[in-house]
Amino acid sequence: MILLALALPIEFDEPVWLWLCLLVPLLIVTSRRSLAGLDPVRRYAALLLRSALVIVLACCLAGLQRVQRNDDLTVIFLMDRSHSVQAMQDEQEHFMREASKNISADDRVGVIDFARHAFLEQQPLKGGYVIPPGRFPIMQGTDRTDVAAALRLAMAIFPHDTAKRIVLLSDGNDNMGNLLEEARRAAADGIPVDVVPLHYKHQNEVYFERVIAPTHAQKGEQVPVRMVVHTDRATTGTLLLYVNGQLLTLPKESTALSLQKGDNTFVITMPVQTTGAQTFEAVFRPDDESQDTIALNNSASAFTFVSGPSRVLLITSNADSDSVLAAALESEGVGVELRDVAELGQFDLLQMVSYTSIILSNLSASNFTDDQQRDLVTYVKDMGSGLIMLGGDESFGAGGWIGSPVAEIMPVSFEIKHKRVNPRGALVIISHSCEIPRGNYWGKEMAKRSVDTVSSQDYVGVLAYTYSPGGENWEVPLDLATNKAAVKAKIDRMQIGDMPDFGATMKMALRELTVGRGKDAAQKHVIILSDGDAAAPSNALVQDFVRNKITVSTIAIGWGGHVMQSTLNDIAKKTNGKFYPARNPKQLPQIFSKESKVIKRPLIIDEPFMPSVLDAHSELIAGVDVGDLPQLGGMVLTSPKDNPNVIIPLIRPTDDGEDPVLAHWQYELGKTVAFTSGQWEVWGGQWTSWSKFAKFWAQVVRWTMRQDLPANFDTYTRIDGDTARIVIDALDKDASYLNNLQLTTRVVNPSSVTLPVKFVQTGPGKYEASVPVDQAGQYLANVQIRHNEKYLGTLRTGVSVPFSPEYRDLMPNEAMLRQVSEITNGRWLNEIPEEAGVFKHDLPPSESKRPAWDWALAWLLLPIFLLDVSVRRLASWLAFSIAVEFVVLIVLLFGMDFRYASWSHLFGAFVVAELVGWAVRFRHIGPFYNYLTHGVTALASTGQRSEASLGQLKSSRNRAKDDQQTESVYKTPLYETDESLQLSDGDAQQKFDVEGSRREERADKSKGVSLTDSLGGATNDKEKDAPRGDKKASENVDNEDATSRLLRAKRRARRDMDEDKKD
Amino acid sequence: MYLMTAHKLMLAGFICVISLALSCDRPALTGNGVIGSFGGVGLASGLFNYPRAISVENNGAILVVDKAGRVQRFNPEGDFLFSWSMPETTKGKPVGLTVHNDGRIFVADTHYHRILVFDPEGKLVGQFGTNGDGDGEFQLPTDVAIDDDGFIYVSEYNGNDRITKWSPDFEFVKAFGESEVLGKRLNRPAALAIDRAGILWVADACNHRIVRFTLDGKVIDAIGHRGRGLDEFRYPYDIDIRDDGTVLVCEYGGDRLHWLSPEGKSIKSWGSSGRELGELSGPWGAAFGADNSVYVVDSMNSRVQIIRP
Repeated sequence: MILLALALPIEFDEPVWLWLCLLVPLLIVTSRRSLAGLDPVRRYAALLLRSALVIVLACCLAGLQRVQRNDDLTVIFLMDRSHSVQAMQDEQEHFMREASKNISADDRVGVIDFARHAFLEQQPLKGGYVIPPGRFPIMQGTDRTDVAAALRLAMAIFPHDTAKRIVLLSDGNDNMGNLLEEARRAAADGIPVDVVPLHYKHQNEVYFERVIAPTHAQKGEQVPVRMVVHTDRATTGTLLLYVNGQLLTLPKESTALSLQKGDNTFVITMPVQTTGAQTFEAVFRPDDESQDTIALNNSASAFTFVSGPSRVLLITSNADSDSVLAAALESEGVGVELRDVAELGQFDLLQMVSYTSIILSNLSASNFTDDQQRDLVTYVKDMGSGLIMLGGDESFGAGGWIGSPVAEIMPVSFEIKHKRVNPRGALVIISHSCEIPRGNYWGKEMAKRSVDTVSSQDYVGVLAYTYSPGGENWEVPLDLATNKAAVKAKIDRMQIGDMPDFGATMKMALRELTVGRGKDAAQKHVIILSDGDAAAPSNALVQDFVRNKITVSTIAIGWGGHVMQSTLNDIAKKTNGKFYPARNPKQLPQIFSKESKVIKRPLIIDEPFMPSVLDAHSELIAGVDVGDLPQLGGMVLTSPKDNPNVIIPLIRPTDDGEDPVLAHWQYELGKTVAFTSGQWEVWGGQWTSWSKFAKFWAQVVRWTMRQDLPANFDTYTRIDGDTARIVIDALDKDASYLNNLQLTTRVVNPSSVTLPVKFVQTGPGKYEASVPVDQAGQYLANVQIRHNEKYLGTLRTGVSVPFSPEYRDLMPNEAMLRQVSEITNGRWLNEIPEEAGVFKHDLPPSESKRPAWDWALAWLLLPIFLLDVSVRRLASWLAFSIAVEFVVLIVLLFGMDFRYASWSHLFGAFVVAELVGWAVRFRHIGPFYNYLTHGVTALASTGQRSEASLGQLKSSRNRAKDDQQTESVYKTPLYETDESLQLSDGDAQQKFDVEGSRREERADKSKGVSLTDSLGGATNDKEKDAPRGDKKASENVDNEDATSRLLRAKRRARRDMDEDKKD
Repeated sequence: MYLMTAHKLMLAGFICVISLALSCDRPALTGNGVIGSFGGVGLASGLFNYPRAISVENNGAILVVDKAGRVQRFNPEGDFLFSWSMPETTKGKPVGLTVHNDGRIFVADTHYHRILVFDPEGKLVGQFGTNGDGDGEFQLPTDVAIDDDGFIYVSEYNGNDRITKWSPDFEFVKAFGESEVLGKRLNRPAALAIDRAGILWVADACNHRIVRFTLDGKVIDAIGHRGRGLDEFRYPYDIDIRDDGTVLVCEYGGDRLHWLSPEGKSIKSWGSSGRELGELSGPWGAAFGADNSVYVVDSMNSRVQIIRP
């Protein structure tokens, strides 16, 4: 079998099972006895079939596979589009186009371009390189090069049945991922990576090597800021230094720099006056810009944490109202900075950690970008700070916070589980396909986002124009948004088509919102997502919306430049909705936060109530006499989170439950508080005049504040390639080393992702951690220090990654490229595409394996089994041959997959099956021939047979007379007369004598087989011979007397009985 | 007797198997008039990325424009011959394509609000129209028709739902169909065709009807309304007229083709929604070919089906 596998294009998964073939000889030996009753031909056929059965079974168990060898070639080009080779795109395109000319028809070309991410631009297709010049989409993330990602993608998309080759066009300056590991993987798969090196050299370059500032400083301290600038040649320029975004005025001698070739170091010392993080950003501007090639690497930054009294940030949109709270906190000794949300400016994590707690007073989610919301979460959970959300008509669920990351960290759920919340809101989203690249993707993302922002008590539905059948459909029928995951899954599955007009879908929305499920909703709102090129709705329809107070907001998706704004603008304007021309995807979250507020009014309770105490043991109200809590004028409805850590000191009691007024919990390292009332001028008049107001709030705020116990340890950081190293020197008051400290570290990257970082003690009192830094921006570390389970303090430090190493690459990294080429046995290609031989067929042909055991099981094992049964059980050769024919035909039809076979193949299969069938029945064709010609010969011989019959009748009559004359007491048995008649008829059955018939009957009784009978087949040869012998005997019958015949019959019966007993 | 019965049973078995084999999975090629199909999803030559318009050249070759911004030429059997690309595609791609009697190809470059004119080799030889709603300006032009005197008619929408007439030298002549036409304003006129009698047929897509004008812009009548029966349409997106006056309407929303007599009476329809051959998904265009055949742009399935129902 193994030899067979070597000769044939087959292989086995687990060849060990082939040992089962050794059962074949055993089978032959044991089968000889059981098959002894068959004639030799059938016996050998049965043995053969049984052996085949065992072999096929063994092959199936061994995992039979078909191996297909193919000489076709697939080449995938990897095109580097990172910043360092941005100017070389045309050259790369030219290479790919020219190298793909004159390729053979079956070869395929694929194209992947990459920078920070890899994208598939052309599937491996026959027909060559098809991307027109200059038609590559705009590449995002050119600040990094991840060749490994491109290699990985290429390996994933190669067709399995061709030879494979990767052609890498790059400068080799790889600064993400692990290229060599990916190359080794390609080598293991036998895929060579040919390299086309891209040559360049930036002759004139100035870049900022780094800015160094102390990690910590005290307020008022002089801080030295050290700057290192590298230049290829001597040059002059100006230095600008920004502190927290403000340009620092420096004397001219400090700013007009004259640089020498190599690294140049400058130090500027300045006092720090404010506490919190101070960011220093230095920029160098060369006097002669031609002396600098890459402008993006001309700046760098660093930051210093300035210690001082802790401060709380109160962010508000109504500074007048909240100044009462700020004053109250100040009066209790809590340092507060009150800032209007409109003046927040750049508000990132670094800014946030300057404060130990942040209060958001009646602010909606739309005031914060997605990044800022993520930073707020990181600020709490990783930096261990506090967040307090105060209520108001723009806050909690009414402020579009549902579904936001901040909602996750608050102690109350912004969704209402109350059944009494009525009236509800209803939102219908109409999604139209967008012409811009990935337009439909963004359409779906936005639809999902809007589902996130509605409450589970609101109605939501999605309308779109879809295909098959073409038309406007409710992709998500208008219903309560109780199962948002299911709704979003439906949105993901939508195939958004090109909607001819807005009218049809708007009509459907109108019907459902006025007479359908959404008719009871108090707020009815429609959002249209479109690029605006569908036909406008009729004026009458728009007026129907106005009449039914259904607002329609329209969002124009089109940052590619194509937006037909007029229609969308018109609809929004006429229906009192809003029109948002979204110019980039980053605007979308805020648009949705604003939009979702439209249907949030039911969440606000605008009636006075007396808050009551639910949990008097809470730390927030402990020590405050809450017996005389004043009345509040209103609140936002929320529901407590089902978590044992949530503590709810104050509630608003109602008939069917309790609405949280004050709730708090610890969330990972930080703490959050929800106070669902607020807006003091409207709801809290009595509270602000309450005598405990200041004490109460000071207690609440203090509970949340981060405990900054500054650990007086020296820390320093250093960036080394893709890694930043943080080093802590731990000394106690007596300057002796602190060993075996437990350091709990949270490091957050510029995208607010927490990185798994661990400090390791590397020497006496020395602890080091490595942080992978693959993004430009601030990396912040929060280190909690414990010694023998005793909390020593929290240390904050961090590094600033000024710019990507991509902007530092001044020449190609040929060594890396050569290594890739060598690892994978690839070639170092000539830059002249015609000479590169990219499509040279010098690779071993591909082998694709496909499992064939299931096919063998169905189309070999089953037919062989049937044949095995047929060969033994079907007595008639004719019947057997038909069975064989049938089986062969079935195997051929399914083997060639008859659904896709041509007529000639189908006909061929039929002919082959017939040939096999006729070959089997060749020797036994007589009866069948007789059967076919029976009608003709019967007619032709009618006359003769009539004569013969008459003659026979006459002779019978004479014999009867003779018998009567012998005065026998026995009558001549009737069957003899029948027999003579049948003999003259020439029918097949005439061959069976009485004895033969009896034997058959016995056989039937003992074996219980009725196949022969039912199919009317002949029995074995011996049986067939018997009638011939008996025929002669019957000729002598007349000469024997009846007594002797009876005696003979008796003897035979006794013998048969004896035989039966033996059996 | 038994022998005969068994044999007959086996023969019956054979016949069943073969009938099954012949009937399985090949109904489209036999039952409903599909005589061929070409295309498939892809950027390579001969494949389509959402094709949207079709036109047959004077020599029988077929031109198809797709959402990759390419015009591809095929022979009548569907073999790829040649292609060229639109000069700009960032804002969007064309939805209309018409061949002039002199061989020039007029492309409604919809999202650039202009008509581009190419020679048969794909070289840009002219263009007219700019964005706007005044005379000589377009808002999303959808199709072009050319009469025997060489005058050019262009349909457009997005507030400008009207037909404009241009001289053979691309000079603006007049606009019509702007005000109400038989009770309704034109709503996204998606296709134009001119018959032998000099009547301009306009597919008034979002009103689900066909409107007929004289070449001077006078309304003659309107045919059909929204529906799926005969004399009814769902978003008619393309019209073609054969020399004998038979009109072919391609229904984007109805996923079918609709034949009309020269008088505008429904004769028959063909097609249903689906992915198989003989089924359509959002067809944007259709054109008569030689020998009574019809090419239909099966947009969502990214292919062209050749049918002879």
